Amino acid sequence: MNPAEGERRLHPGSWLFVLLQQLKQFIVPLLVLVFAGRGDRNSLWPLIGVGVLVVTSMLQYLTYRYRIGADGVTIRSGWLHRSVREIPFARLHNVALHQSLLHRLFGVAEVRLESAGGVRPEAQMRVLKLEEALALEDLVRHRGGEAAARSDAAEAPDAVLLSLPAAEVVRLGLVSNRGMVVVAAALTVVSQAMPDALLGDTLRSVAAHIFGYAGALHGGSPASLVAALGLVVAVLVVLRLLSVALAWVQYHGFRLSEARQRLTVERGLLTRSRSSTPRRRIQAWTLRETALQRWLGRRSLAIDTAASPFAQERGTMKELAPIATPQACDALIQHLLPQAQWPRPTWRPLSPSAAWRLALPGATVSLLATGLACAWWGSAWGLLALLWLPWTWFASRRHACRAGYDLDERLVAVREGWWSRHWRFAELDKLQALRLSRSPLDQRCGTATLWLDTAGADAFAPPLRIRFLPLAEAQALYARLGHLLAVRALRW
Amino acid sequence: MTPATLESAAEPTPPCATPMDWRALPARGARLAAIGPAVTCGLLTMLVLGGAFLATRWPGLWIAPLGGIVAAVAGARIGVVRHRRVRWRLDEDGLAVRRGRWWQTETRVPVSRVQHVDLRRGPLERALDLATLVVHTAGVKLAAVSLAGLDSTDAELLRDRLARRQPVDDDAL
Repeated sequence: MNPAEGERRLHPGSWLFVLLQQLKQFIVPLLVLVFAGRGDRNSLWPLIGVGVLVVTSMLQYLTYRYRIGADGVTIRSGWLHRSVREIPFARLHNVALHQSLLHRLFGVAEVRLESAGGVRPEAQMRVLKLEEALALEDLVRHRGGEAAARSDAAEAPDAVLLSLPAAEVVRLGLVSNRGMVVVAAALTVVSQAMPDALLGDTLRSVAAHIFGYAGALHGGSPASLVAALGLVVAVLVVLRLLSVALAWVQYHGFRLSEARQRLTVERGLLTRSRSSTPRRRIQAWTLRETALQRWLGRRSLAIDTAASPFAQERGTMKELAPIATPQACDALIQHLLPQAQWPRPTWRPLSPSAAWRLALPGATVSLLATGLACAWWGSAWGLLALLWLPWTWFASRRHACRAGYDLDERLVAVREGWWSRHWRFAELDKLQALRLSRSPLDQRCGTATLWLDTAGADAFAPPLRIRFLPLAEAQALYARLGHLLAVRALRW
Repeated sequence: MTPATLESAAEPTPPCATPMDWRALPARGARLAAIGPAVTCGLLTMLVLGGAFLATRWPGLWIAPLGGIVAAVAGARIGVVRHRRVRWRLDEDGLAVRRGRWWQTETRVPVSRVQHVDLRRGPLERALDLATLVVHTAGVKLAAVSLAGLDSTDAELLRDRLARRQPVDDDAL
């Protein structure tokens, strides 16, 4: 058979998007070229650089072909260095469709096919015509895994498991620190780009302006205190508003749906993205409840998939429920893990030594701060930092009371935190390796920490580990899990 | 059921006496294990001391190489002790590795979770008839469990036993 038969190309405009992507990557060197070459006779360098990028993106477009076979996708690419890549549908863990504002303007979309492991996706089609992208996505969603065996269910429509109305998106913005993160990032960039003196002067003049205004009104320190308080409140309000706006942009139209054992998440106001993954590819779960979320009566539920753990921000499915009521989260878990018992009625407690050991980091910081403050200012006011001690003690007591773990034939779950809480759990079949570790303190207290490793664990998610376990219990658990994993086949 | 599968998989009697025991690494690898920490500690100490003396312009720059040598000796000692503390064990469930005295860890890779196994032999290791075994899993924190300074025969045995997996369903990987 002719290998070229049935081969397709990307969208003719795709070189433009590849070029934009490359420009984004090379923006720093290009800017350096522009500024370094200014006033020099070599001012053509940036143009040459851009020209090279244009040629490479054109070449990439001209040499990239893909063919959709019965069992998978075949991709041929490269000119001097050629490569052929076969991607079986059954190996795909995640399919992501990404449409930025520019993509939408051109009626195109970017498709990413991701299998387990690896930093880069198996295939990144930048870009396809929207209809072709949708068709490809649809094909992968239908052919992947068990779909073929369940032709009777093929006509079942998508069941919506969760969608976020506007009020929920606003709540999501209110509880998140997105605004703060963005402002911090912006400040970093500004402070890098601006000379220090200029930044300092700007800040000082702004402060002087505000305090000068307050001083002119009344004079004296109460007014400036009020001004300072007002400033803090205003900054907080602005940050929260920014958070809400960002949440609106990112999560507008959020919808989690399920069809044929496959979960699909779509979201976004300007940049639309949709990613879908088979239900059985979920590796581990994280349920979170920060203090703010608790006050609003909400939690968030996230999952790990084995597909590109490092590329989560690029659209790999992560958040099943960015914000939802505890009941909705529990119902979602029950629905997706029908054999596992959730929520757990009982949790096994940790060693009694957990209470004071959880307080150690906070106590150390507090004592260090006291020492430093007293030494620096040479006055007893530094002793104020000791006030942190009772709070640390109280919080760690509460934390130790709440923390616990539970294990049955299907699921292992860990519960931690008090002020900011989380539950982390995984099916036993998804565990990859175990580690029992004991620090010198563990050895003194007769305890151990059990680490359970899963595939695709997010670096920012709390680890799946049981701390402060009595040694005998930890060893028994370790031996039992080790044996259980060895006899069960890996399913991921 | 599992003991049977693995025992039947290993047809010849294993070269190591009883695979169920915790086994130490061969003592001849201790010097090799000392090199890494010695070089790291020595160089770091030398750089830090040298930098401090140069920055403060204190006399007595000769202390830096001296401190480096002392630190290298200490580092070598640490390497040897750590090497002596390593124990490994292959049983029907998989590979287990124990390390450390102050910070003790025991890592277990079940045989069903082994993705692939690497055997590495550098020139120094070859001279001493040693090998490094790296067991890869699909995990993140324990993505690669490595055991350096194994006897070559043991390493090959481990590789063969760990790499031989029960036939699993197609979609496991």
